[in-house]
Amino acid sequence: MEDFLLFFVRYLHVLCGVMWIGILWYFNFVQIPSMSKIPDDQKPAISKVIAPEALFWFRWGAAGTVLFGLILAYMNGYIHEAFTLQRPDIGFGMWMGLIMAFNVWFIIWPAQKIALGLVEADASAKPAAGRRAMLFSRTNTLLSIPMLFSMISAQNATGF
Amino acid sequence: MSKILQSLPLTIVAGIVLTIIMVIATHQLENMNQSGVEKTMSDLQKKMN
Repeated sequence: MEDFLLFFVRYLHVLCGVMWIGILWYFNFVQIPSMSKIPDDQKPAISKVIAPEALFWFRWGAAGTVLFGLILAYMNGYIHEAFTLQRPDIGFGMWMGLIMAFNVWFIIWPAQKIALGLVEADASAKPAAGRRAMLFSRTNTLLSIPMLFSMISAQNATGF
Repeated sequence: MSKILQSLPLTIVAGIVLTIIMVIATHQLENMNQSGVEKTMSDLQKKMN
C-alpha cells in the first residue's frame, strides 16, 4: 500500500510538472516569439482569451508540482537532506523548482495581471510589467533545463 | 543578464551551461559530504579505542 501511495504521489507530481513546464515552454517557445507576427486586430485573442486561461493552469500546475514534490520528498525521507544539500543530486533541482514556483506566483502572475489588463493599472505600467513577466518567464525556462536534469538524474542515473 | 534572457537560443545555452556547473557542484558537494561522514566514523572509532 505504501509503495502504491509513493507511486501515486510521484505520478501526481509529474502530472502537475508536465502541465506547468509544458505551458512555460509554450509561452517561451511558441507564444512570445509569435506575438510580433500576429496582426494587431487579432492580438486580443491571445491577450484576452488564451493567455489568461494558460496562466490559470500554469500557476496551479506550479503549485501542484511543489505540493506533491514536497510530500514525495517527505515520504521518501530525504526532504531535510535535499533542502540542506546533503543530497545535492535532488537538492539542486528542488531549490530551482521552488525558486521557479516563487517566480510564477509572486512575480510573473502579478506582472501578467497588469500587462494583460486583468487589474486596474496605469497604461504606462503595462509595458514594464510585460517585460518583467517575460524576463522572469525566461529565467524559469533557463532554470527548467538543470532542474529537470537534476530531477531525472536523481531518479534514474545515480552516476551523476 | 537581460540580454541573454531576451534571446531564446542564448537562454537555452545558459541553461545547458548551468546544468554542467550543477553537475560539477553536485560531485564536489557529494565528495565533501562523504568526507564528513568518513571523518565522523574515524572520530567514533578513536573514541571506542
